[in-house]
Amino acid sequence: MDHECVLILPRVCEVLAASGSSLPDDTSLEKLLDWFTTITQTGVSLLEACPCLLDFLSNVAFNSTSGPSILSFTLKLAGLIGASEDGFKVLEECSVLGLVFDPRHWQEAGLWEDPCLRIGWIQGLKTILQHSKALRFFVQAGLIEPLLHLQTDSSLFVASAANQMLAHVLLLCESLSSVGCNGTKERDLEQNSLSMETNQNCSGVITKALEYLNKCLVLKETSQLSQSQQILKLLTQLLVQVRTPLLDKLLLTVIDSVEELVTKSCSQLTLPLMDVVLAANSRLSDDHDPKQRIGRLLSLMLNRNNPVDVIQAAAAWLRSRQYDPVHTAHCARVLLLPLDIVTGISLLDENSTAEELRILMTEQLKSKTCFSMICVCLTNIPQITLLAPDCLPCPQRRIVSAVLSLLKLCCGDTSSSSAGCVGVFRFVTGSSKVQKCSMEALSALSKSPEVEILLPEVFKLLTEYLNSPSSDPSVLQKSYQALINWIGVCTDLSCITGLLREDLIQAVRKRACDMRWEARDSTVEFLGHLAEVQSCRTSAGEEREPSNSLLGGCSFTVPLLKEALQDLESYVRASSISALGQTLTFSWQQGAALTQDQVEIVTRLQEILSQDSEGFARRAVVKYFIAWFSSCSSPTSCSLLVQSVPTVLSQGVADLDWEVKLHTLELAELLLDQAFPNPAPPHPYAVMSHQSHRIHTQDKESELLSSLNSLVDRGVISALFCFLVDCDRPVALKACQLLLKLRHTVCPLMVSAADTRVPCELPGWSWVHEIRKIQGVNKDPHTQGGSHIGSEAHGEAVEESTSAEGDSVCLCVCEVLRSLDLDERLSILTQSSDHIYNSPLSLLQDIITASTANSHPNSEPGQEVIVDCY
Amino acid sequence: MKLYCLSGHPTLPCNVLKFKSTTIMLDCGLDTTSVLNFLPLPLVHSPRLSKLPGWISKDGSINLEKELKECAGRVFVDAQPEFCLPERELLDLSTIDVILISNYHCMMALPYITEHTGFTGTVYATEPTLQIGRLLMEELVNFMERVPKAQAATCWKNKEVQRMLPGPLKDAVDVWTWKRCYSMQEVNSALSKVQLVGYSQKVELFGAVQISPLSSGYSLGSSNWIIQSHHEKVSYVSGSSLLTTHPQPMDQSSLKNSDVLILTGLTQMPTANPDGMLGEFCSNLAMTIRAGGNVLVPCYSSGVIYDLLECLYQFIESASLGTTPFYFISPVANSSLEFSQIFAEWLCHNKQTKVYLPEPPFPHAELIQTNKLKHYPSIHGDFSSEFRQPCVVFTGHPSLRFGDVVHFMELWGKSSLNTVIFTEPDFSYLDALAPYQPLAMKCVYCPIDTRLNFHQVSKLLKEVQPLNVVCPEQYTQPPVTQSHRSDLMLELQPPPMPYRRCSVLSLPFRRRYERVYILPELANSLVPSEVKAGVSVATVSAVLHSKDNKHTLQSVPKPPPVAPSKKRKRVIEEPPVTLSPKPLLSGAVPLEAFLATLQKHGISEVKVEETAEGHILHLQAEDTLIQLEEDGTHIVCDNNEPLRTTLRDLVLRFLQKL
Repeated sequence: MDHECVLILPRVCEVLAASGSSLPDDTSLEKLLDWFTTITQTGVSLLEACPCLLDFLSNVAFNSTSGPSILSFTLKLAGLIGASEDGFKVLEECSVLGLVFDPRHWQEAGLWEDPCLRIGWIQGLKTILQHSKALRFFVQAGLIEPLLHLQTDSSLFVASAANQMLAHVLLLCESLSSVGCNGTKERDLEQNSLSMETNQNCSGVITKALEYLNKCLVLKETSQLSQSQQILKLLTQLLVQVRTPLLDKLLLTVIDSVEELVTKSCSQLTLPLMDVVLAANSRLSDDHDPKQRIGRLLSLMLNRNNPVDVIQAAAAWLRSRQYDPVHTAHCARVLLLPLDIVTGISLLDENSTAEELRILMTEQLKSKTCFSMICVCLTNIPQITLLAPDCLPCPQRRIVSAVLSLLKLCCGDTSSSSAGCVGVFRFVTGSSKVQKCSMEALSALSKSPEVEILLPEVFKLLTEYLNSPSSDPSVLQKSYQALINWIGVCTDLSCITGLLREDLIQAVRKRACDMRWEARDSTVEFLGHLAEVQSCRTSAGEEREPSNSLLGGCSFTVPLLKEALQDLESYVRASSISALGQTLTFSWQQGAALTQDQVEIVTRLQEILSQDSEGFARRAVVKYFIAWFSSCSSPTSCSLLVQSVPTVLSQGVADLDWEVKLHTLELAELLLDQAFPNPAPPHPYAVMSHQSHRIHTQDKESELLSSLNSLVDRGVISALFCFLVDCDRPVALKACQLLLKLRHTVCPLMVSAADTRVPCELPGWSWVHEIRKIQGVNKDPHTQGGSHIGSEAHGEAVEESTSAEGDSVCLCVCEVLRSLDLDERLSILTQSSDHIYNSPLSLLQDIITASTANSHPNSEPGQEVIVDCY
Repeated sequence: MKLYCLSGHPTLPCNVLKFKSTTIMLDCGLDTTSVLNFLPLPLVHSPRLSKLPGWISKDGSINLEKELKECAGRVFVDAQPEFCLPERELLDLSTIDVILISNYHCMMALPYITEHTGFTGTVYATEPTLQIGRLLMEELVNFMERVPKAQAATCWKNKEVQRMLPGPLKDAVDVWTWKRCYSMQEVNSALSKVQLVGYSQKVELFGAVQISPLSSGYSLGSSNWIIQSHHEKVSYVSGSSLLTTHPQPMDQSSLKNSDVLILTGLTQMPTANPDGMLGEFCSNLAMTIRAGGNVLVPCYSSGVIYDLLECLYQFIESASLGTTPFYFISPVANSSLEFSQIFAEWLCHNKQTKVYLPEPPFPHAELIQTNKLKHYPSIHGDFSSEFRQPCVVFTGHPSLRFGDVVHFMELWGKSSLNTVIFTEPDFSYLDALAPYQPLAMKCVYCPIDTRLNFHQVSKLLKEVQPLNVVCPEQYTQPPVTQSHRSDLMLELQPPPMPYRRCSVLSLPFRRRYERVYILPELANSLVPSEVKAGVSVATVSAVLHSKDNKHTLQSVPKPPPVAPSKKRKRVIEEPPVTLSPKPLLSGAVPLEAFLATLQKHGISEVKVEETAEGHILHLQAEDTLIQLEEDGTHIVCDNNEPLRTTLRDLVLRFLQKL
């Protein structure tokens, strides 16, 4: 621990105990507590390290005039100190313990009303309860009662913390008593009696807690609903965590009450009850006694009379991923039932679902609740598609048909579902919520077996949606996604007729001019994604990309995307740039000759990079070049690419957006990797004569030299140097890493530095100054005075060139690489940028400063400086 | 109260309301869909249209070569287009007192009603309605008169002949009532009868009813009407919109508490959302222009076009259409664009505030300033020298039968690069295009109808809670093509009363009260007596004086004092003494108390019998019956007048006298 901190801490304690209201910001107490926690985690005793804390505790506890946040902090701190047995002992001796954790003390002071204090009490107590002594204290002070009382506290946060606390107490009791049972034989009498006592304490606490749970579970009136929900949550928590003897005991105690709740069938409790039942069911093995009863409860839940409840319960079962052939099949049927009723497409085998449920659900679907029911059903279709065929009442193809039919209903077309439930039509027609859920379900169903045959139908419907003027942008986006999913899965697109394709082309063309930018954006994205879909078979039986066979390939896509480059909305511009990248990837990989279009695109992209006011578009441009460079079969042979890279790099350096800069560095990395490919590991047994080794080294050296020169020519090296001194830490870090890599590759081999000078030009003096500063600071503090001296001191690493522009400067690469202490730089950059401002010392200083500022009468509250940082 | 329905078109209504001795015509819409049966009137000689073969029936028995021409597989009437007028036989139009106009689309039949029928009443409309309505009428007359067609076709209207005709002509109804367009003179005469009103202004009609227009939010100056007497309120809702477009928003709250609400002019496109359609319009337009084609928008010269231009104004930049020229061609284009800018008080709040800034409320002014939008009275003249393609042309008439649009259809129809975008919902676009087939040009149907849809109207009705709703029968069942869409109809409790062309409805509410004024001196003489807490009653004797539907109670005139005569005394015939009327009795006789009183008066042997209406008391010793009923008491006692009087007085004790 920092010595300075120890010195300053007593003063901080004083400040906190005195006022407490004048904290620099409301998180400072949390930060302080975090710091204390890290100290204890390193195994240091907090009281030994900072003895002043004890005074602080007793001071605050006995005065109780501090604000609630300070009191809450004090309670938590007491917990932290008491978590170790030694600390606990000290606290007990100075009688702080009993006082701070006594609820009556706070009630009398009128402070218990504040939820802040109650939270502090709970959390402090929870931290302290780590050992048997603490448990003994807990029992003797009779704290279980107030804790139980807090379980249904009016503050949701307090109640939730109390729940966790109770679970913690029970788990502690469980672990302590099991230790007691196993370890008694070898211990002496005293310890034996101690563990006897612990055991007694444990069983006492457990009995009380369980009784309480059981009592609270039963719903006496509807006003207590939230209480029951809270208790059910707690129960779920416990069921998931506790182990066998306690688990059995717990279940035995509460199962009657749970059963009562289940039979009461209160809709609001369906989900929490289902959680309890599912948790119990998963924890119990088949030979457990209560397993059967739990199984019965589960059946009860899944067979309730209220359709909304049943659907929720069934969805919960499928989500829990538990498997039981009967239940799973039943749940699948329940979840498919609304779809069956609405569309009239029979998904369920005859007489499989109770006719009663069908009637009830049909009625329910005619009201506004149909939205939630249909949507729950649709959102669970991905789960259903994962089920084994024998759990499903029908082949998945039929489910696809039903979803298609529902989507048709949504746009007012009822031709396909004459048998459906007419009462629902008026609700689902035009509902974009149902449309979105259906589209997602349709996407999920694309991966189902044997559905390929439905592709033309799916294709037709999705095209209709894309064409429909009333489709919401979000629905359009989902339609595009569904289309991509289906096209991606289907290997044979020969079933798509020319007419359908024509419709799709029309729709895409129209949406590319849509008024809503979201629609234009989705369209452009779609074109990009489509280009990435794996090849498929066309009607003629040949292998082609779907983009070619559906839309006519680049000749259709590229002009549309080029147009989108001019879009007013920056998102659309950015999407069109990446879509262009995706579309052209194939031709890049093939090494095809550049078209006039591509040349124009490059010009336009460079304009965007240099002029666009929005970062998204500029980032996309750099990524485009990355994609081009990395997918190009031989980047060096593509002259346009080779020409553009230096421009991109230099513009990337000048950009203000740190992400653009980072992407530029990625491009630089690609160039580095290309210039210095990872050498194949030499054959371990290869014999190499000294002579050949020398020649080899010389060869390598000249090879390296030329690579390095080409990197300099392309502007990679100067970009790296500029980025190294960038004010954005991630950029500088990445540049530093790359330069280290470069040094690692280049410097060991370039021994004869003098005659292999590789000059590199930097775009301006300011960068050189920055770099010199690093050199100066790191290496030569005495020569910081003049930049010239600095450069001379390092073997003339920097040369001034008086070029025509007058401000470009030459550096000597290898020299600079050697002279810069990149490792030191890396370690600085790796630290988070706020490592200075966030240190415990600064925190403590802040607290003190704030208190003095506050006590100063002249300070005005309005004058505080609000620092805007991101 | 009766409603006479003269038009079957739900959005071009013409109804007559007889209410309290007044006869009020509500709108007079002109059904122009009949023009679809006629050949287009080309502005420039069209070889195609002039060489069409005449129609002869298959067996050759009917030869109407002169009147009917075959074009693209259909038969059209080759004459000046005719309109289907409101019914004129259902009631005597000269008896109409006033005509209330709700918006400029619903007044196009006005000259047919006000001229040559003996109409002597007044027409009420707001100022924008009058001015823009005038523009639309002028435009219509101009379209027709520019291309005069002397010949009139009447033979085909013969019932026997019509039955033999093919296609839609055979099914056309009331063809004998179809009339050619009116003249400018008739328009001027009709419009001279218009009296201007402002929103919420109250106009008294003969003291009987009060009428008042309310903003309906559909178009500039569009209104709904309230027609009310002291005790009854009829609301007339026609062409209203809840969307936030350019007009002032709809005034809903004033429609509350109506006895009858007459509901017309709902959207003709209940499944097409105007926003979606506007988007569709823009993207199709941009798509065509980008591909190098021209866009033709057949539209009216006022109304939706303002919104289209505003929408395009925002869209032009984003779709990089900055260099594409937009042309608006109409004889009244200039006035329409300029009028819209000056009706500040009729605009939505947002636009109203702009009037006080140095910028015009509608952005089309800027489009004109920057030369992006140009307007011309017709294709002749300046336009031909400035015309540049690809371009966007807004022009009328949306039926494609007359107006400059005919020329563009002939000009651009052959190229698949061009697109015609229909935005007006009044005409079926397939029928409109029929005489131009085969057509290579792309057609897009984006009907924009901002009027109330069924969802909005049911919400509105829930809010304003009228006792009865009357509406065209089309609104009481789902559209024929979508019979399952129960959401596309009005579902109300009690169900709305449907009407169709030529219906006469007796509106289901009775007038039960009339307001009567009492003169102060008469009121002074009244002596109210309280019959129960808060309710006082007085009898009044007066003379009822009714004039101009106002009723006043005046004191009974005193007989003129007899002039003292010094002459020989003569027996003057006394005026008949008006006996002061017997006091009115009220109250009920409480049985128990009455029996007790009887007892006090020595009548103790009483047998009480309960009947359906009350009680019968049988005074056994006296052999007398007293029937106590809710609205009468009878004492039946033979030949014992003193007893009867005693009993009567006993009964009277329990009653209050006035």
